[in-house]
Formats: sequence, C-alpha cells, structure tokens
Amino acid sequence: MRTPAVDRRVVRVMLRRDLGAILRSKALVLPMALLPLILLVLLPASIGLAANGNTLDVDRFLAMIPDRLSAPILGYPPHERLVIMVLGYLVAPLFLIVPLMVSAVTASDTFAGEKERRTLETLLHLPISDRDLYVSKLLGGFVPAVAVSWLGFVLFAIISNAVCWPVMHRIFLPTWLWAIVILWLAPAVAALGLGIMVRVSMRVSNTQEAQQLGGAVVLPLVILAVGQTSTLLLAGPPTALAAGAAIWAVAIALNVRGAASFTRERMASRL
Amino acid sequence: MGDRAIDCTGLTRHFASGTALDGLTIDVERGEVLALLGPNGAGKTTTMRLLDGVLRPHGGTATVLDLDPWSDGDRLRARTGVLTENAGLDDRFTALENLQLMAELRGIDRREARTKGGELLERFGMGDRADVKVQGFSTGQRKRVALARALLHDPDLLFLDEPTSGLDPAATRDVVDLIGSLAAEHGRTVVLCTHFLGEAGKLANRMAVLFSGRLHAFGTPTSLAADLWRGSEVRLDLGGPPPDALLPALAALDEVVQAVPTPGGALVRVTGRAAIPAVVATAVATGAPVHGVDAHRPTLEDVYFEIEARSLAAAAAAGGTGEPAITAPVAAPR
Repeated sequence: MRTPAVDRRVVRVMLRRDLGAILRSKALVLPMALLPLILLVLLPASIGLAANGNTLDVDRFLAMIPDRLSAPILGYPPHERLVIMVLGYLVAPLFLIVPLMVSAVTASDTFAGEKERRTLETLLHLPISDRDLYVSKLLGGFVPAVAVSWLGFVLFAIISNAVCWPVMHRIFLPTWLWAIVILWLAPAVAALGLGIMVRVSMRVSNTQEAQQLGGAVVLPLVILAVGQTSTLLLAGPPTALAAGAAIWAVAIALNVRGAASFTRERMASRL
Repeated sequence: MGDRAIDCTGLTRHFASGTALDGLTIDVERGEVLALLGPNGAGKTTTMRLLDGVLRPHGGTATVLDLDPWSDGDRLRARTGVLTENAGLDDRFTALENLQLMAELRGIDRREARTKGGELLERFGMGDRADVKVQGFSTGQRKRVALARALLHDPDLLFLDEPTSGLDPAATRDVVDLIGSLAAEHGRTVVLCTHFLGEAGKLANRMAVLFSGRLHAFGTPTSLAADLWRGSEVRLDLGGPPPDALLPALAALDEVVQAVPTPGGALVRVTGRAAIPAVVATAVATGAPVHGVDAHRPTLEDVYFEIEARSLAAAAAAGGTGEPAITAPVAAPR
C-alpha cells in the first residue's frame, strides 16, 4: 500500500506557527543571533584588521602542520596567507557550530517546549497524522538553522571581502570549500543536531532539561566536528563532500528512527 | 447513523504507574451531555484521550460517531472539539492568532479562520481582547478562548476536561452557562470531565462516576438515587429534638422504612411521597410541634458522596487501602 504524501498545508501552517513563535521569543532569538554575530561578523572584522596591520606571521604556524595540509595556503602570496588560513579554512568548521546550535535550540523549543507550555495535547487532538506532525516539527527546527547559517554566511562574506579588500584586492569569498560547507555540510549538521535533540526532547518535560541533556551530547559532538572538519577541509573538496555524506547518513538514520518513535500514543502517555 | 455518539465496552488502559482505566463500559446518546465524575486520578482524562483516539487502549472496544477512534482517528478528530484541562494556548500569540492557527490546521481557509475566530471570541465575550497576547490572560479568559477554539470547526462531539477548574465563582457560572448553550445547539453531544458536582448537576443528562479507573455508577442522578435509596426522605422541622414517643410511633407505620432523630427534629425515610400526610399526622398526634416538612429529593452531591462512601466501605471491608473498592457499578437505565 502506498504511503499517503505529506500534507503540505499542515506542514506550512505548522511551520508558520513554530517560526512565528520562535521569532517572538527573546530567549530563543538572542542566542541564535549572538553566536553568528561573534563568529561571522566580529571575527572576520578582527582578522581583516590584523591582516591590514600585517602584524601576524602565519608562516611559522604553517611550518608546524603537515605539508599536505599547509600546501593549499602556501600557494598564496605571503601577505594573503593569514586571511586565507583563518577566513578561508579555520572559520569554516567553527561556522558549523551555528546550524548545530540553532537546530538544538529550536528543536528543544518545538518539541519539549510544546510540553512545557502545555500546548502539545491540543495538537494531539487535531486531525493531523503523526507523520505530518513530526515532519512539521522537524522542519520547524531545520528551516531556522539553515536560514540563520545562510544569512550568517552572506554577512560573513560581505564583511570579510570588504574588510580584507586592502590586503586581497579581490573578492576571495565564497570559495569552493565554503560552498561545500554552506550548501552541504551546514544542512547536514543541522539535521544531525535535530536528530539528537528531537530524541532528547521527546524524553524530557521542558526545554531547560532538553538543552541540558542535549548539551551533554551536542557539545562533545561540536568539539569533535570542529577538530575533524578543519583537517578534512584542508584536505580538499572531495574529502569535505565525503564527510558531509557521512554526517547526512547519520542524521537521516537518527531522524528516521525519531519518526518511528514519534507517535501520538507515545506523546500522550507522557503528558 | 446510529443513535449513539459513543459506545464503548471494557475500555482498559495501563500506564507504568498503574491501571488508569479498567473495563469501562458506557454509552452516550447523540445530543446528550454526559458527566464523567470522579476525583483526580479517577481516569476521566484518560477516558477522553482514549475516546478521541489520542491514546490506544490495552483492552476493550469503542465506536465514536460511528468511527473507530484508533484506526480512523484523524477522521474522528475532524468532528470532535476538545477543551483540555490547561487551555493549551500559546502565550506568544494573541487570542485570535491562537484560534486562527488551529483553524487553519483543521483545514479552514485562512481568511475564514480569521473571521470565524473573531466571531467566536466576540460571542464568548473576548472580542475586545482578540488582538491581545494571551500571556496576561486570566484562567477564565483562557478557558473562554480555548472553548472558542474547540468550536471553530462546528464539532458534533465536544470533550471538555475540567472546564471550570481554577475559575472564580462568577467565571465558573459564565463558563457553565456557555457550555449549557453549546450543548443545546444542533443537538451537539458533550462529554464533560469534572470533579465539580455543581456544573455536572446543571448540565448533564447522565453521569458516570469513576474511582481509581473503575466505573462505580452510571445513569441519571434520579435513577441512581432511586437505586441507592428506596423511597423518599422527609425532614421534620420540630424546632428541637423529637419527643420520646415520636420515633416509635413513626416506626410503627407501614410506610416508614426508617426514622432517626436530628438536632432540629427527625429524618424519616418513607416508601413514597404518599406516606407524608401520615407521617405529619403521627407527629402532630404525639404532640410534636411541626414547624415544617421538607420532602427531600436527593441531589447529585448526595448521590455522588453516597457512591463514594459505599465504595470506601466496600474497600475497607475487603481490607483495601482506602481507595474505593472494585464493586459492581450501580447501573440505572436512562
């Protein structure tokens, strides 16, 4: 028997409801805006200023890392190396914290938050299938995570190109690596964060618990991701694409399992 | 289409913490108001969730509006409206936005949802608060908005879970009046879960009394009273304790089942109202100063507390824990 298609109307209205609620909550908007602001605005601005002043010598650092990893940067003129190393490579893995963090915050609000606000039961009494409800809630976490990441990157690229213009004399961002990070890795990481936080949120009764428990799982992952991805990015686009595929595979597996365990019955028996 | 809105047999549901509902068998006619009565934890909300297909039973069967709540849940929920105990409104939205979003999720067109939501809020006395965030609303205001939300799609069956809990007396009266008018509209069926007997007495055609997940009584208050107590009760107001000769004289009458003294006179249980003149005549004959006679009709409260007392007594006799015992339910025809 064919599974009926997802009811787009339900998903659209639910998405409007969840996103509208998130945007009206200072407690959610603030952390979602602050991290991208520091990482994607203040950091490139400081690097640009440091490069303009020509105060940092990165060659000594590059000499310490394996040739295979330093080669892509050493191919640039010496005065561009600081900008390329930090804004072209090192910020990219750090940037992945943004979709991870945003998806964790929004998922805890759209799943555990419904329980905390005692609005979940009302949703369960609606004529909406379990799957449509799950898909809507998942997108309620995924869309803001990807949107904040992409918006953040646009800001990052504009500021980086502008501030570093005196050194670079050209638009150097986005690069192929950044394109992979933004279009392939960031959504994968957002989906991974969701897969984890949805499962956590289904087991707890409020957003605080979800974020505390999620922090114990998500933070170690962040550290792991940052450590591994910086190496992978330096190793080149094919490796970054493969890393993204691996993250997608884990994320999809987690979310499919989450969908199977997200049933009215289970939700209602934990009210 | 059958005459019954709800027909369930042996409905049972367990949780990790214990059995919430144990073999519930009830039926509700179309257009009827049924009160599910019982203390907290009696199984009222579980019953409501089961009958709306939100929870699945571990035993028993049910048909609600001619549908199976568990295989046809979405079709059923399209025709039911629910007021949950905690109104379940999102504080971050206005009253009208709360209604509009829920209406849209029920498939109502956006513009129509807004119009209908506005009309319902107006009707429930919340028109001037429609565009105000729910955050600062009182419990009574929230209940009104939630009631309006439950009616957006003109449901055939309403489940109302503790609609007056947390309300002050004036708000309670308003909400009870509102529910009364909703039940009278279009022959709508209402299942009212409550532990407030006053609202059940005003609104319900029949009541089902639950204790610890078991049905202990089911029927109209009058029929249940008739089943609990044979005959009628007559209070004699004598302005003080009865004279010594009165109680034996009353007990000698064929129509008198029992006569007991009270601080202000006597309480006489008789076989029927026809016995009242004989009771009064006997009192006068023994020299008792009869200031007044009250042929007492048992109230819903009398019925409820008698059922509770009998259940507790049965539990004690069975060496129970003080929870009402598992006894055969008092059943009375409609």
